[in-house]
Amino acid sequence: MKEWNNILKQIITTASGRLRLLLAIIGLSAALLLILSAVQLQANYNDLLHSKSNQDSVANFLVVNKQLTNANYGNTTLSNTAIEDLKKQPFVDAVGILTPSRFKASIQSYSSQFPFYTDISFESVPAAFIDVDSTQWHWAPGEDIIPMIAPNLFLDFYNFQFSLSQNLPQLTQEIVKMIVFKVNIQTPAGMVSLKGKVVGFSDRITSLLIPESFMQWANTQYATDNTLQPSRVVIRTKDPGNPALVQYLKAHQLTTDADKTRFSKYRQIVNMVVRISWITGTILLLFALLIFSLFIQLTIASCKDEIQLLIILGAAPKQLQQFLMQRFFPPNIFIITAAVLIVGILQYALAAWLEQQYMFVSHIISVYTLGTALLFSGILWAVNFFTIQYYIQKENN
Amino acid sequence: MMHLHIENLVPVPLKPNLQTRNSDIWLQDVEFTSGHFIKIKAPSGSGKTTFIHLLYHLRNDYEGSIYWNNQEQKQYHAAQLAILRQQNISIIFQDLRLFQNITARENIELKRVMQQPYYPSSVIDDMAEQLGIAKILNQRTGICSYGEQQRIAIIRALMQPFNWLLMDEPFSHLDHDNTAKATALIAEECNKRKAGFILTDLDEDTHFTYHQTLQL
Repeated sequence: MKEWNNILKQIITTASGRLRLLLAIIGLSAALLLILSAVQLQANYNDLLHSKSNQDSVANFLVVNKQLTNANYGNTTLSNTAIEDLKKQPFVDAVGILTPSRFKASIQSYSSQFPFYTDISFESVPAAFIDVDSTQWHWAPGEDIIPMIAPNLFLDFYNFQFSLSQNLPQLTQEIVKMIVFKVNIQTPAGMVSLKGKVVGFSDRITSLLIPESFMQWANTQYATDNTLQPSRVVIRTKDPGNPALVQYLKAHQLTTDADKTRFSKYRQIVNMVVRISWITGTILLLFALLIFSLFIQLTIASCKDEIQLLIILGAAPKQLQQFLMQRFFPPNIFIITAAVLIVGILQYALAAWLEQQYMFVSHIISVYTLGTALLFSGILWAVNFFTIQYYIQKENN
Repeated sequence: MMHLHIENLVPVPLKPNLQTRNSDIWLQDVEFTSGHFIKIKAPSGSGKTTFIHLLYHLRNDYEGSIYWNNQEQKQYHAAQLAILRQQNISIIFQDLRLFQNITARENIELKRVMQQPYYPSSVIDDMAEQLGIAKILNQRTGICSYGEQQRIAIIRALMQPFNWLLMDEPFSHLDHDNTAKATALIAEECNKRKAGFILTDLDEDTHFTYHQTLQL
């Protein structure tokens, strides 16, 4: 078998050009390198978007309400159908209803040294949507202190604008948490006074939050308006920059914090670039496959006379096919291995560089890239096998 | 044992010419006896090479039938034909059909290792010695003289097992002395295998003791 292969190698190699083989190998290497890089870039891109270390917890919650226009003036409630539809969207993980207080309320300080009074309204949201971890966040009928969560924005507004203009002292979060406020609720039967205390500050929802249990109780007790439909919801999403989310909100005339979704436009551009790189990679690969199959075809054509003579002398089609596969397929494996190694090295370097920019991607190449390499080994095997089979059969007839 | 039998055989392109001629082969029913040395005498243009090529299944453009072991040759598919050529039929072409870019030894070795080797490789040296081409064995075939190439082709044909050896003017470029050496070797190898041969040539000759001489 060894002697047979050696002689065949002599016959076929002298007939077919080494330079041509080299050129075909270079063409295929370049194309494979490009397609594997495209797959790896896509994997990195997904990594950057979805991995935990790259995510910002604040950006994952969006408060959504209807856009107020002249047409829907006075009717900005969200219907159950609209909320259900929102829940069904793939980019929405959870929807929490923000319930507004339907009674007039005000808060004021007990202390005369710190005279403070303001009319206020509350909102409540399911506990799962709250980012303040406090043991005091509960209320049951009969308890006299209502826990509240204030937006950081309020405190900033107070400290840097209001206190300065009113000649009042600035307050830290800790101090505010110690103050017990007087909460006045206006009822048909007159004013009811309760106590309230800020238990935490949040960046997530820009309204004064109270526990849902209190909201339900107070709305039942004191509501002046019987509307039950909510006007605002908070959604949890993995990716606030998702262009599909932004498109959905726009199509349903909903609005949210534009600052959190502004990346969607850049994302659309990056998506397009990645898609184009896929298309280019695929086209290049198709060309590379064509080049390689043409190379095999040309090699077989250039040693057509030799192959014909071998067949005349009694070489079986299987013997020739085996030999030609042994000759043409191993360079393919070499090319794929080399391409995977190069992409691996580039990935390592890229990950190290991105780390310096506080972006985290895996240091090793993705399973998708390896899978693609395996897939192409299979495709190349098939291209080699069938091209050889086809031409041997052709020479046999 | 490998039976060879032809029935009403005629190559389509030569049919008009051959129909009017008296031939022992064309359009006849002939049984070639296994192990016999058969000479086919053929003047130019009578289809000598065509006949050898038909028997070796290099062409398909014929009417009538060729039976190898009672199986019509046209029914052999590529893999079966390869086995036939590796195990049962060997050939010396008139135009030799050697690979010009490899050495004489490689040309012969190719046929030795194409199947389970019939002989060890040392036999190549023995035969080359016998035919006087031992010195050129490692030369590129393309630069050997035609006479040398003819002897390379003869040794190549004798490297494999066979029941029938087909020869088309195998000594055309050999002098008397070299022809005698070649015929001795061929006869010896055929006898060793209990094989027969079909040799086509232009004229009468006394190279071998033929069992049968036919006119094409």
